[in-house]
Parts: sequence; structure tokens; C-alpha cells
Amino acid sequence: MNTSLPRAPFSHPGWQLWPGLLLGGALVLLVALGFGSLLLTAGKLDPASVLNNRYLRGVVQFTVWQALLSVILSLTLALPVARALARHRQFPGRSLLLRLMELSLVLPTIVAVSGIISVYGRQGWLTGLLEQLVPGHSWNLYGLSGILLAHVFFNAPLAARILLQAMESVPQPRLRMASQLGLRGWWLWKAVEWPAVKPVLPGLTALVFTLCFTSFAIIMTLGGGPGTTTLEVAIYQALRFEFDFNQAALLAIIQLLICGSLWWLVFRQGLDTSLLPRRRFSFPVPLPGWPGQVIANSLLIAVFAAFLIFPLLAIGFRGLPALLPTDGAPALYQQLLPATGRSLLIALPAGVGAVLVALLTLAASNRAKHNLLAAIPSLTGYLPLIVPPLVLGTGLFILIRPELGNAAQGWTLVALINGLMAVPFVLQVLRGPMTAMDKNTLKQADQLGILGWYRWRWLYWPHMRRPVALGLAYGIALSLGDFGVIALFGSPGQPTLPVLLYQQLGSYRVAEAAGTGLWLLLLLVLIFASLSGVTRRSHQSLTQSSTTAMPDPEHA
Amino acid sequence: MLELKNLRFGYPGQNKDWHFEFTLHEGECLALHGPSGSGKSTLLGLIAGFLTPKAGQILWQGEAVNHQPPWQRPVSSVFQEHNLFEHLDVFTNIGLGLHPGLKLDTPDKKAIEHTLERTGLGGFGHRMPGELSGGQRQRVAVIRAILRRQPLLLLDEPMTGLDPHARQELHAMLLEEKANGITMILASHDQDDRKALADSDWSL
Repeated sequence: MNTSLPRAPFSHPGWQLWPGLLLGGALVLLVALGFGSLLLTAGKLDPASVLNNRYLRGVVQFTVWQALLSVILSLTLALPVARALARHRQFPGRSLLLRLMELSLVLPTIVAVSGIISVYGRQGWLTGLLEQLVPGHSWNLYGLSGILLAHVFFNAPLAARILLQAMESVPQPRLRMASQLGLRGWWLWKAVEWPAVKPVLPGLTALVFTLCFTSFAIIMTLGGGPGTTTLEVAIYQALRFEFDFNQAALLAIIQLLICGSLWWLVFRQGLDTSLLPRRRFSFPVPLPGWPGQVIANSLLIAVFAAFLIFPLLAIGFRGLPALLPTDGAPALYQQLLPATGRSLLIALPAGVGAVLVALLTLAASNRAKHNLLAAIPSLTGYLPLIVPPLVLGTGLFILIRPELGNAAQGWTLVALINGLMAVPFVLQVLRGPMTAMDKNTLKQADQLGILGWYRWRWLYWPHMRRPVALGLAYGIALSLGDFGVIALFGSPGQPTLPVLLYQQLGSYRVAEAAGTGLWLLLLLVLIFASLSGVTRRSHQSLTQSSTTAMPDPEHA
Repeated sequence: MLELKNLRFGYPGQNKDWHFEFTLHEGECLALHGPSGSGKSTLLGLIAGFLTPKAGQILWQGEAVNHQPPWQRPVSSVFQEHNLFEHLDVFTNIGLGLHPGLKLDTPDKKAIEHTLERTGLGGFGHRMPGELSGGQRQRVAVIRAILRRQPLLLLDEPMTGLDPHARQELHAMLLEEKANGITMILASHDQDDRKALADSDWSL
């Protein structure tokens, strides 16, 4: 009977399995190639001489030290902020603040750094204020203090967002019970908040540590010299300036060992850190507090919001005059427009590629029955977290030894690595909606023969439209802000937007840098707004048609 | 005596408002039933102070309590689940009901041990909630509610999902409280529970 039904295109089960498997396999192979070339190159070195190298030891020590300090500072700020936000669920601007905290996931590092320089730098707003209050102060942004400040700027909001989400997932009855019993302070923390936060803490610590450990743009711009060099910067210098491939390979392997063992420790505990918030409605439960707690919390939230907003405002205020034409088109655009073109040329394919890989990976891991086969697709999702982009880039750089003049070759690699790096984030967005399809619907669809392409078109796509658009926006944004991989493969004569911004910061063209930063920021806003706008409109028409056009089966 | 006077409540984004108006005498047990979403939990949440009404008053012994925070109202609640703090042992879970900072004197500690023993949980003080059966967990929750010695007991499906034996044990504990003059409101979709405990039965 079923044979009389028209067969759906791509309905053979293999179509769900093999594309994702092959793609995942190819990516794993790519990483293996890069890693293999690292091992081969580093194998030529004598380990004893390496361990005694004072420069190397200094680099490793500083990298670990600054990352450790950044983790401690970020979490120390994030925890009270998350507690305050969990307690006060209704105040004007709260949702705006939450959006602002999520921004740190996509805000290009180099843009934020230019904002931070405008606030805390030598001619910064706050530095000027400090000069008047405490003349002769010794504040200097460049060096460890600047690195820590920038790391806290990026990671405290991310950490607070994840902690807040954990606290908001406390079951409503438990929260009500704590409220009725009148728990507060230490016992509220011990009975309700700590158990909510505890499971996400190891993963969160590892995440923040990895991000600070592998941070590149911040060290390049705010690090004060050889004393504040991290592994990533040392790799970059070894590859691009000293042409010491052995050294670069060795540094990359050290970095891999440290990050890899950290994540291995975390994964062994078997935890699930969801980095992107699930929004849900829950009625606020009143909780007892100490006198003055409301004031203290308000103050904390206000300072935290100012800490996040000031650098962004600074980019806006300083960048706008640079972008607005006063007498004819500013010369800035002669550099800005080609750089935008180059950036989009890399970011658009990378974003689309990341979404495709994520979708096919999910389909394949849903379908794969054999354990080993199922591991390949899920591996592609985690590889980039364990193998940092610059490490992978280094391996491929050594393997291919690109002719530095050959832009096309370099850019293809940059787009490829950037796309790969975006996959875990896109996966986070897509996994939930993709697996949320309920079993009965799927059984129904099986019976009706809605398979293959038709199943995607009529069952998944209406639900996945928004997540796919959001994933695409994340993928494009991450590649658009990339500064590490492009620094390795790009040529200074043909900069992308982040590289252009770096060059302007490096030559103290502060106004132009602010202009470029604002331009890049506006580009990101445009991408997110247009992608979410497209989906919102179609979403509306979908709900309308489903309410008006659905025939009632009882009366049909 | 519990009085609800012209009490109105609506969730944000919903057009429909709930309207409650009734009187309940001391030592009585009122049962509520109705489909989910009919407002049973909402009513209990309003009386306990977890939800803020749009208008109206809640009076206990003639005194308005609707401006008091949950921890000052003369109310103890037992929910269907999540009553216990999972990583704190049974004794601490109950103790936090007697003092929110666990500052317990010897009579308090004795009362906890005694009640545990009386309800067949003797020696369970140092167990974690995860080691208990569903019925035992609910008994611990009821013990805590009883030992708080609040005159009003709000029960939100406390027996749902338990086996008949565990239900009967809970019935016995609650009937004893009722005999002591505790006023109760029981939200339950089980007719046997309502029959065993309630003096009057409302459909919402």
C-alpha cells in the first residue's frame, strides 16, 4: 500500500546519516592532519633543552597565572551579580541588562578592547576622572591590569548569565518552601543557591579558564611587552616573525595539553553546560533579606551595568564623528569598505558552513546506531573547544606553508577554521529544537510517509526557522570578529575589519579605530536584526495560518 | 477563622481573572478539586503569600495577613514534590522549619527525634532525602509542617503518586493534626483523599 504513495526526495535513511558522518569525518581528519604536523615538527626538538628554556617557562607561567587570576576575578564578580539578578526579577532595564550580558558571546574582542581603551586608557574617560581625584596615580592599562580588566569585561557577564540561569532553574516549590521557612543569607545559599550553582561550576570555571588561557587579541593589544606574553601570542610570533616552526609547534602542543587535560577532567565528571539561555516564565517568589540588602543589590547591579555599558558608549561617542561625513566622505571609508567586503567574504561562508555542519551532524547523531559512528558527529561539536583555533591553525600552517602573498589560499583556510570554531555554538542553539520533536508526531509522520525532504520541510523547518537564523547569526558574528586565525594567515596589506582595527589601535589612530569599531558593531547589529526580523515575520504568518486554517477533525 | 474577601488575581498576559470569596472555620478541612489550571495551586499560593493579589483581603482570626511576606504568615505548605532540600539530611530539613538559621535548642531536637520515631522514621535523621521512598519523603515534609506549629496547613497534591499504604500513613498524620485544631485546605484530584480528610469539597 505504501508503495503507491509518492516517495519523498532524500527519504532513504542513509541521507540522514552519511552526509553528516562524511563531513564530520573530514573535519576530524583535518584536525588530525593539523595535529599530526604539529607532532612531527615538535618531535625534532630535544625535550630537555625545551624544559630548561627560560623564555618558554616564563610564557607558560604567565599564561596560567593571568588565566587563573581572570577566572577568580570574573567569578567573584559574577556570583553576587547573579544572586542579585536572581532575587530581583522585576526592575526596569533587567531584560536589557541580560541581553547586554549575552552580547559578550558575540562581541568581537578587538572592538571591546578599543572601547576599554577609550574608557580606561591614557586619554580615557575614567582615567581623566581618576587624574583629577588622585593626581599622580600610577594606573596603567597596558600590562597585567589591562589584560585582567578586559578578561573580566568579557567573562564576568558570561559567567553571571550562566550562574543566573542555573539559579533560575530551581524548582518553584523549593523556592516557595525556602520563602515560607524564612531562609536567608547563609542558609538560603546553602539550601537553595549552592546546590543550583554547584553542577555548572566546574564547566563554567573550565570555560572561563580556557577563554582567558587562549585569549589572543586582548594580549596583543593590552599586553605591555615580553613580560606579558601568553602561549597564543608566542605561537603567533614564532610563526610570523621568527619563522621558528619547531618552537611554534611545541608551544601549540603545550597549550593543547593544558586545555585538553582540563576539559578531560571536566568531561569525566559528566556535566552538561548549556551556554545559551532557555527563557521561561516563572513567577517571582518573595525571599527574606537583610535590611539594606535591596540597596546593596541595586548598587551592585548599577555598577555592573555601567562597567558593561561604558566601553560600548565610548565606541559610539568616539566612533560616530569618524563615520559621519563632515566634508565629503571621510578617508576612513577607503579602507573600511574593502575590509568589510573581505570580512563578509570570510564570515558568510563560515556561518553558512557552520549551520550546515551542525544540522547534518545532529541528523547523523540522531540516526547513527553504532557507538563509534555516533561518536564522530558529536566529536565535531567539541573538537574546537579542546583544540583552540590558533593551535589548529598552526598545525595547518606548518603543513601547508602558505605562500603569504596568496590571499585566496589563506582566506579559504581562515573561513574553514572559523566555521569549524563556530560549530559548538551553533550546535548549542540547534540541538534543543531539533530533538524536541515529540515521539507521537514522528510516529504520525512515519505512518503518513512524511519522510526525507518533506519531513524537514513540513515538520522541522517551521520549528527550526528561528533557531537556524539565530545559529547563522552567531556563526557569522563569531567569524566576523575573529582576530586570531586571520592574524596567522592574512596579509597586513589586505586587512579584514578586526585586523584594520588592530592596525589603527597599534598606530594610535584612536578616532579612526573607534570609527571602525562602531562600524563593525553596527554590522553585527544589522546581521542579528535582519536575521531575527526575517524569522519573526514568517513566524507570525505561521501561527496565523495554524489558528485560522486548521480544520476541526471532529466536524470534518 | 480564615476569610477571603473579594480576592482577585490574574497572571500577567492572561485576560481571565480569578475571584475567590469564602470563609473557613478553625479545625475544618476544605478540599478543592478540578482540572489542572482551574486555580487550586493559585489559591494556595495566594494564601501562602507566594502570589500577590490584584485586589481583596485575606484575614486570619479577623486580622489582614495579605501584606505579610510568606515567612511571617501563619501558614505551612506541603507540595507534591520538591519539598525537601535534596543535599541536606532529614534532620536539617526538618530543623530549618523550626529555625531558619538552624539554631535549635534541646527541646527542639528532642521534638524532631520524637516525631520521627512516632511516624515510623526513627533513626532516619541522618539520611539524605534521595535515600528515602516517595512516601517517606512526604512524611518528612509533613513532619516539618507540623513542627512549625502554624495554625493553617495548605496541602497541594501531597499524596499524588504515592502507593495506598503510604497514603494511609499520611492520612493518619493529617487527621491527628486536624483533631488538634489545625485548619487545612487540601488540593487533590483523588476522591479517597478528599473523603478521608475533608469536611467540605469544592469543585473549582
